[in-house]
Amino acid sequence: MIEILMLAPFLTGIMAFFLPRSSGRALLVLTGAFHLGLSVLIWIKRPVALFPDYFAVTPEGLLSLLVISLLFFLIAIYSTGYLKAAKIKSEHIFTGSMLIFLATMTMVTMSDHIMVMWIAIEATTLASAPLIYTHRTKASLEATWKYVLICSVGIAMALLGSVLITLAMDIGKVDAPVSFSALTSVAKQLDPTWLKAGFVFIFVGYGTKMGLAPMHTWLPDAHSEAPSPASALLSGVLLNCAYLGIFKTNKIMHAAGLGDFSGTILIVFGLISIIAAATFILKQTEYKRMLAYSSVENMGIIAFGTGIGGIGAFGAIICLIHHSLIKSSLFLTSGNILLGYGSGLIEKTGRLAKLMPKSFVAFFGGFAGISGFPPFGIFIGELFIIVGAFRTGHFFVAGIFILSLCVIFAGFANQVMKISFHDTTAEEIKITEKASMVWPQYALLLTSIVLCFWLPDSLYQTIIDAVATIGGGY
Amino acid sequence: MIHPVDTILSLVLLSVLFSLGTSHLTGLIRFVAFQGVVVSIVPFFIGHEMTGGGLLFTMVTLWIRGVVIPLSIYLVIKRVAIRREVEPIIGYHASLFAGLVLIVAASVVSYKLNVPLIMKSALLIPTAITILVTGMFLLMARRNAIAMVLGYIMMENGIYLVGTTFSTRAHHIVEFGILLDVLAGVMVMAIILQNIKQKFDVVDTAVLRTLKE
Repeated sequence: MIEILMLAPFLTGIMAFFLPRSSGRALLVLTGAFHLGLSVLIWIKRPVALFPDYFAVTPEGLLSLLVISLLFFLIAIYSTGYLKAAKIKSEHIFTGSMLIFLATMTMVTMSDHIMVMWIAIEATTLASAPLIYTHRTKASLEATWKYVLICSVGIAMALLGSVLITLAMDIGKVDAPVSFSALTSVAKQLDPTWLKAGFVFIFVGYGTKMGLAPMHTWLPDAHSEAPSPASALLSGVLLNCAYLGIFKTNKIMHAAGLGDFSGTILIVFGLISIIAAATFILKQTEYKRMLAYSSVENMGIIAFGTGIGGIGAFGAIICLIHHSLIKSSLFLTSGNILLGYGSGLIEKTGRLAKLMPKSFVAFFGGFAGISGFPPFGIFIGELFIIVGAFRTGHFFVAGIFILSLCVIFAGFANQVMKISFHDTTAEEIKITEKASMVWPQYALLLTSIVLCFWLPDSLYQTIIDAVATIGGGY
Repeated sequence: MIHPVDTILSLVLLSVLFSLGTSHLTGLIRFVAFQGVVVSIVPFFIGHEMTGGGLLFTMVTLWIRGVVIPLSIYLVIKRVAIRREVEPIIGYHASLFAGLVLIVAASVVSYKLNVPLIMKSALLIPTAITILVTGMFLLMARRNAIAMVLGYIMMENGIYLVGTTFSTRAHHIVEFGILLDVLAGVMVMAIILQNIKQKFDVVDTAVLRTLKE
């Protein structure tokens, strides 16, 4: 069953390269629906993989998988409307790459073998590169070049880190499969020095892909140049996939009793990311880049929470889920704004509340959610992280954390007010707000609100299982 | 006694110095191809058990690392590069000197590392580290996009050598997956290089500086 989940989008993706426009769009939605249905089934049944050496159903993998599935389905629906309005030249490449991208991300969530994880994450880079170059402009070419080169080189570091972990096994004379779950159970026997070295390289490698500062330089370019459905996928779920690699390695570190070492690294880089995002958001002139920097910030928050451990790690997973939901909705709405005003600059927009009321609701709601206002879930996640930081005595870093969040909120709010209410030179809006281009965003935001008030038991238990090794839970 | 593999590895070290000193892309590509060939046949010489599958895998690696990857970049050069200079940020003499320092440092480090080796080759780890770091150096010290891609390939070769040196436990199917990823990555980069040439008329990364902050 797990293998079908990876193969189906891959095969339909290859099909999509040869299909005409309309059937390509239908295929996108149908595959999304099928994938979502199967993911829910896997969530309920928790089957064993056909190749248990390489793949396994893990709690953290399941969480990411369900988020990916849900997001992809809604983004596929949005894409049908977007593609009609945007008139992309080589649309079959776009739809085909979207589907193959989905297949590779599914593979990441299911990987248990360290090297297979690496293969899957590198494959996501390659599958998403054509998406960034969809518009065929000079700027998008530059973004694609930076993305492929920086991420490939970064991820090569993670490969080196993975090799070092197998070395830690050899020196510790451990005879176990090279999988995350097996290594977590024998972690105490691994050679600590090489395990630490391995973690550092894996952190730098996957951290590059996750968009942690100072390795984040590709991220704002790629996310702002890609067409909005692709940006939503990149920001909403691709970053989670890279985080999964770090998260699983961090679990090995905790099991080996080296949690303090990995935790400190996560906290430091998390804070650097948040501060870097704060400085760049304040003077941002393009709204999609602003959203991209907000992703850097949120990845920083998640890394910070994971580093704190305990209830903070629980909060980090909550933030991870809600960031995906809210940020993808924001990127989709930014697609409407881009099509409506025909410019990515904040100064060219304005009076969104009057001119595009439906998109305004989604945009403003998303802004409230991403800034950590209740009733959206990020509020709870951040609260848990701060509580966790205080509990473990990290008073100073918690102070910096809170201060940076305030700065980011101020910067973000300033720009959103300009977009929503300031006067504009734009005479008329170039698109009509079709239902397919606003309802997916509403659905995403609504999911975030519902999950804030009501966390189903099975979801709660899965999160607790995922963070159990790093001392998670209340 | 000098291990037989050390003989070809010393040639690799020499090729590293040449690749730092060369100003021509076609020259650089030849050295990278040579390194690709050597890192793929090293498992022949060290303690890996040579099963039928292992032999097949070595042949495939040799074919991809030594022939397909360099050839695909060579074709790109023929198609796009009018000026075949690597356009250095750090000059050739300085690069060469850095390479020499690097080889010495890599030797010192690998003696300090105290890794239980599969075989008694004195040069295996120093060479692996040298190739890896030289690849990174080329990525940073050359402005020409093709030279940067070649730097990336060198880096991957170095990591592969580290992997075969340190561990015998990797499954061939997994290694093959990694190889396929690297190959696909180089292909994607080759396509991007051609597009850069079409859009900008040069493959100098100095033109790729418009997106900021």
